[in-house]
Amino acid sequence: MYIFKNALISIWRNKGRNILIGVIILVITIASTVSLSILNASNKLISSYEEKNEIIGSITMNRESLMQNFDPNDREQGKENLKEQFSNIEEITVDNIKNYADSNYVKSYYYIESLGLNSSNIEKATSESINDRKGPMMENQESQAAFTLTGYSSIESMKEFIEGSYKITEGEISTDFTSNNCIINKELATLNDLSVGDKIVLVNPNNTLLTYEFTITGIFEDNSDVNAPSMDMFSNSVNNIITNTTALEKIYNDDTTLRNQITPTFILKNKAAISKFEKELQDKGLSEYLTLTTNLNQVESSIESISNVKTFAITFLVITLIIGSIVLFVINMINIRERKYEIGVLRTIGMKKSLVATKFVIELLIVSLASLILGTISGSLISVPTANKLLENEINSSKQNIDEINKNFGGNMMDKPDIPKDFNIEDNNFKKGTIQKIDKINAVVDIKVILELLIIGIVLTLISSLAAVITIQRFSPLTILKERG
Amino acid sequence: MDILKLENVGYRYKDANLNDYVLSDINYSFSLGKCYAIKGKSGSGKSTLLSLISGLERPSKGKIYYNNKDLGKIDLDKFRNTNIGIIFQSFNLLPHLNAIENIILSMDISGIKVKNKKEYAIKLLKDVGLTKDHGERRILRLSGGEQQRVAIARSLSYNPDIIIADEPTGNLDEETENEIIEIFKDLAHNQNKCVIIVTHSNNVAHKVDVVLELEKENKSIKKSKRI
Ligand SMILES: Nc1ncnc2c1ncn2[C@@H]1O[C@H](COP(=O)(O)OP(=O)(O)O)[C@@H](O)[C@H]1O
Ligand SMILES: [Mg+2]
Repeated sequence: MYIFKNALISIWRNKGRNILIGVIILVITIASTVSLSILNASNKLISSYEEKNEIIGSITMNRESLMQNFDPNDREQGKENLKEQFSNIEEITVDNIKNYADSNYVKSYYYIESLGLNSSNIEKATSESINDRKGPMMENQESQAAFTLTGYSSIESMKEFIEGSYKITEGEISTDFTSNNCIINKELATLNDLSVGDKIVLVNPNNTLLTYEFTITGIFEDNSDVNAPSMDMFSNSVNNIITNTTALEKIYNDDTTLRNQITPTFILKNKAAISKFEKELQDKGLSEYLTLTTNLNQVESSIESISNVKTFAITFLVITLIIGSIVLFVINMINIRERKYEIGVLRTIGMKKSLVATKFVIELLIVSLASLILGTISGSLISVPTANKLLENEINSSKQNIDEINKNFGGNMMDKPDIPKDFNIEDNNFKKGTIQKIDKINAVVDIKVILELLIIGIVLTLISSLAAVITIQRFSPLTILKERG
Repeated sequence: MDILKLENVGYRYKDANLNDYVLSDINYSFSLGKCYAIKGKSGSGKSTLLSLISGLERPSKGKIYYNNKDLGKIDLDKFRNTNIGIIFQSFNLLPHLNAIENIILSMDISGIKVKNKKEYAIKLLKDVGLTKDHGERRILRLSGGEQQRVAIARSLSYNPDIIIADEPTGNLDEETENEIIEIFKDLAHNQNKCVIIVTHSNNVAHKVDVVLELEKENKSIKKSKRI
């Protein structure tokens, strides 16, 4: 107890020395707080990125394995063989997809189907390109049918609307994913004088007796030119009629000779699931000429910049701590040299080495704790805006995003209570949860950081007290007292 | 009664040559109630001898007994904070404390039970001729003589049997020296302590009970006067 009291008196009566030590610890603490906060913020950012940017896989042509059989010595025959192989690849069916998706590695899935159909009450938009008029080669399949009916399995599958290349300008996308409703391109609507509520009749190109009536619930604008500039008169999607898979499959089931092109998308649980899922697909009999393609590179590159910030923060923290410990050790060494006389007196009047060391460590601990607290507070004041700046873009962009997406869909998808469960609204990209999570990063200097700092601070103090303890251990009081006398 | 007994004590500094003993074959017994002076030329090993007696160093040869207990076998920190009081020429007080605090710290270290340590410290200061006002001053605001009195008061605070002093009056004028020596003599004669003073001063040597001479040549101790 008297040790503690004496330590306090010592600190108070040697203010100059202790302020110096305090300021050094303060600077180290502030630097550590800032880098720890940035580290924390980037960790949270990375996990929020990872949560938001799910690993998405789709099934694509494995061109490499297709080309392997190409015989370079007989190009003509090689081309023929390629064509044959290509046409022999079994098409993926909805049942296939459901089978593939029934996997431990798949979080959710959706798919898009498309059929070529004609219409009995509207006219297709025929476009001509200005600078390169397409030859008959390019128009093969589509030329048979006037329109492409595209069915989406869920809101989540409507990538174009989520990403903003399509945007509802009138009406909205129906959340009823079972009945015969559709949305059409604005240009097509203008050409045919159609508006929301009107009905269009689609006709099977093979059998004109098979007709289907669709109600227009919305009209969309195609802005994909931004990403894929084209000099065509009409946008690519002008003859594209968008509906749901249930409505589309009704048409297909009436005539399975129609070519139904199915594009599945699997949302995988995590990075590690990719290779396992790939293996599973092969086991389930996916053609060797088809393969799983994921957005892994894209996801990783979006994390890259924040990973760099994180690496920088770690480096900065480590350097701060190393330099800090060295400086503290040296200061303490000098300090102890100055205080040898005091050690000599205390040892002469019979204070145990361990108690002398304790007294010095307590003094240092009190000074460092005070500086630690002050440093954490001021460090937080500095780092909260710094870290928030880092996160600001992220927070704003995701907030903006959700508003944008809602606009693209022509209503507030989030507020619609009657969206069926299997549309995976819970898992989809623009759920509210993500945004709340990012908002929480505002409090970067949390208990975790403070605890980490306290531990770091105490470790630092103990490291620097080592100087004192070593000196006291190796110390002969007589020599020092003689030096003085 | 013999409180302190030196038996064939020899000492060689660790970094010195193998046979370069500063002290060798010192045999002597000190008694309670007497005031001793140790004289000798500079470098004859007086300070070294005191550091052995006070347990700051251990002898290289021979043994020292306190109350028939081998110093080599007891806790020397405890010995220093309970049984022996040490006073140096340079006073060796803590400058960031005042006189009273210096004394109280010493009592705290020894663990001695005193009801009111501050009152007791003031009483000890009075015994060596200082006032409470002196006691509340920082050490560096006291004169050399006053500092030495504080050092004596401090060494008395835990009531040790032995007081050793290394040239305690070396930095003081003769008048002050006389006053300090009177305090030491009083401690030996009226409080039955064993007081050992290392000194250059003939003045001091004349006033004590026993004068011992440390000879540099044969490195032994020789009694030169007895009253
Ligand atoms: N730390 C030391 N290492 C080696 N020799 C020392 C050391 N301290 C003192 N000495 C030597 O021991 C001898 C006695 O020193 P000391 O006891 O201080 O003499 P005195 O106090 O009588 O003047 C001297 O010759 C001195 O050089
Ligand atoms: Mg000496």
